[in-house]
Amino acid sequence: MSELVRSTAAALLLLALLQISALAQSAAPSTLQRVRQTGVLRIGTDATYPPLEYVENGQFAGFEIDLATAIARELGARPEFINASFDGIFPALQNGSFDAVISSVTITPERSAQMLFSDPYYDSGQLIAVRQGTQGIERPEQLVGKRVGVQINTTAQIDLEKRTGVSVAVYNTIDLAMLDLKNGRIDAVVGDAPVLRFMIRQSFRELQTVGRRFTDEKFGIAFAQSSDDLRRAVNAALWRIQDSGEYDRIHEKWFGEVAERTADQAASSTRTKVFDTELVRKTWQLFLKGVWLTAKLAFLSLLLGLPIGLMLSLARVQSSRLLAAPAAVYVEVIRGTPLLVQILFIYFVLPLFGIHLPAFTSGVIALTLNSAAYISEIFRAGILSIDVGQMEAARALGMTYAQAMRRIILPQTFRRVVPPLTNEGIALLKDSSLVSVIGLTELARTGQELASRYAAPLTIWPIVALFYLLLTFPLTRVAEYLERRWRPITRS
Amino acid sequence: MIEVTDIVKRYGSNTVLNHATFQIEEGQLTTILGPSGCGKSTMLRCMNRLERFDRGRLVIGGVEVLGTEDRKLSAAEEKELTRRLRERVGIVFQNFNLFPHLTALGNAIEAPMTVKGLSRQQAVEVARHYLHKVGLSEKEDHYPAQLSGGQQQRVAIARALAMEPDVILFDEPTSALDPQLIKEVGRMLRALDDLGKTLVVVSHDMNFARSISDQVIYFEGGHAVEAGTAAEVFGNPQKPETRAFMQSFQEEESDGDRASAAESESEKLDADKGTRATLGQEE
Repeated sequence: MSELVRSTAAALLLLALLQISALAQSAAPSTLQRVRQTGVLRIGTDATYPPLEYVENGQFAGFEIDLATAIARELGARPEFINASFDGIFPALQNGSFDAVISSVTITPERSAQMLFSDPYYDSGQLIAVRQGTQGIERPEQLVGKRVGVQINTTAQIDLEKRTGVSVAVYNTIDLAMLDLKNGRIDAVVGDAPVLRFMIRQSFRELQTVGRRFTDEKFGIAFAQSSDDLRRAVNAALWRIQDSGEYDRIHEKWFGEVAERTADQAASSTRTKVFDTELVRKTWQLFLKGVWLTAKLAFLSLLLGLPIGLMLSLARVQSSRLLAAPAAVYVEVIRGTPLLVQILFIYFVLPLFGIHLPAFTSGVIALTLNSAAYISEIFRAGILSIDVGQMEAARALGMTYAQAMRRIILPQTFRRVVPPLTNEGIALLKDSSLVSVIGLTELARTGQELASRYAAPLTIWPIVALFYLLLTFPLTRVAEYLERRWRPITRS
Repeated sequence: MIEVTDIVKRYGSNTVLNHATFQIEEGQLTTILGPSGCGKSTMLRCMNRLERFDRGRLVIGGVEVLGTEDRKLSAAEEKELTRRLRERVGIVFQNFNLFPHLTALGNAIEAPMTVKGLSRQQAVEVARHYLHKVGLSEKEDHYPAQLSGGQQQRVAIARALAMEPDVILFDEPTSALDPQLIKEVGRMLRALDDLGKTLVVVSHDMNFARSISDQVIYFEGGHAVEAGTAAEVFGNPQKPETRAFMQSFQEEESDGDRASAAESESEKLDADKGTRATLGQEE
């Protein structure tokens, strides 16, 4: 799906949420009270941004992760990090999926109008990266007429889009922007300084940062507008951490000279490769969690989507408009709207009506409802393809419509729809990657995290593809088996 | 007795059945003969409610059906009427409409189980009896796609028989078959007639009709023009329409095979012998 659609969808949804949440908030219990009661501080973060936040061996790591852990401890709570992709992270905050967002969020006036921010805890700024040997790009003014890569929804994107004449290319994760720069398709990448340096050191040594930070940005912890009490408590915690010297220790650990030197040494001791077999050995187990989640999502959705799709198709082929019309409308609406918006809707909008569903449940429901619409059309086409004489013969023998459908029409339909249903199952498997937007680390999202953590998209994505291929295997085998079993009947 | 009284059916402005009136004796083999487009197939479909008619009255298997304009039925009444009617009236379709996902036996036990509520064992017993009658005992495990056209038709007949109806309707039983199989069908129908069933056959094939029928109804323009025993109608047609149809048929025949009329007489005899042979197996 195009970035434009994704971000527009997210933005529209956020807007809708703000309208409704203003009404819904008055009665909600205080966020701080809830954190104190449960002893858990739920923190949303997009852990594809090393060294600020990333996933290392299945664990969250990074400067902001350490900082958030310290803050939670000051509040007397345990931090629970929830991985969410950046384009869905603010809607998720608004709908109460987590209590705070710590994800290199720059405090901007636009964002301040929609949510609350803690005091700034980190000074950052945008830096330009180019291929080594590039002349004439050092300052942002020189980006005019150039094609520049940024990560979606970042301040880099916001800043560059304000500059006329700069052609902005938006990427889901920063490593893909760096890769495109390396491949020569764009002229520069703009991003947070520590992240660009990390990426270059890790595996883009043909690239370099140039000039100085050209923006003055401050990171803040973001809260929903109803969480002012939590914001004040977090601010107090931040002050204590700064006073006690703990902040400096954390900062030193991630950005100090020792850290930089160790990282440089580690980096120079390894060679960057196009496809890193060593990395495969190191990460393949991490994929299994993503594979498992994707398999569960797709399997459950297909399992639930099949009967619902069948019901819808039956409603449409029978003669009563009372049932046929709503089914037709359902199929029309679901097929005509993006799956991504459906996922966002179920996860972010339903809570405003008091329906709070966990991310996994929301994902399964969205995928189920979506696939049911497509499956119903497959079944409908199958039913309509059965000769009308079959229904006539069954009725003439005295069967009721329902008996004829169940005993005569549907068994024949099932034999015909196996190939298109297999298609739908495979499509569903791959579409399930969209649920990463509500923070489910399925296979594609796992790939995203690992690709940015190791700055090795060319190693990670082929593995992701391979795992998807392996996942489709059982489906195609079941289909083959069914077709083989039914061959003597369809032979003619 | 099957009574058809003044039945009218229209599709929009097109009148398909135009005051059709005739009677059919029980236990007889009656052919409704007529050119294509004369409404005979629609008449047949009305007789087991695959089609509804607008006006008139039908009594079949002791069930009375009135035209939709004469009496409005509620959905429940309609369902009940259809159920009672189809319990007594079976049909063998022109292209058989066998259930391709079921074996020959499966085709014949499906309705007895789902409609009559027979146990599988009971249904299998009944179905085997009729599959044997039509000479297909050895093929009961074959799927329709594995059977020849003639065998498929016999499965369709066994399927209808397994519901043990009083009346069986045949829609153009010869049209989907090779010429050499037509004789065999005639034999089969005679055999069924001897079981005491009332058989109604729709056909446009005069020779076939002549070779098998007890009674013949000549149909044209949506109504019965002439009715009588086969000997009466073929030997001495009264109405000009009937005569014209027979004339045209004979002309067509004489182009091909002048001897066919005589042959179909002997076919009838063959058919009777064949019948005895088939039933002999049973007894």
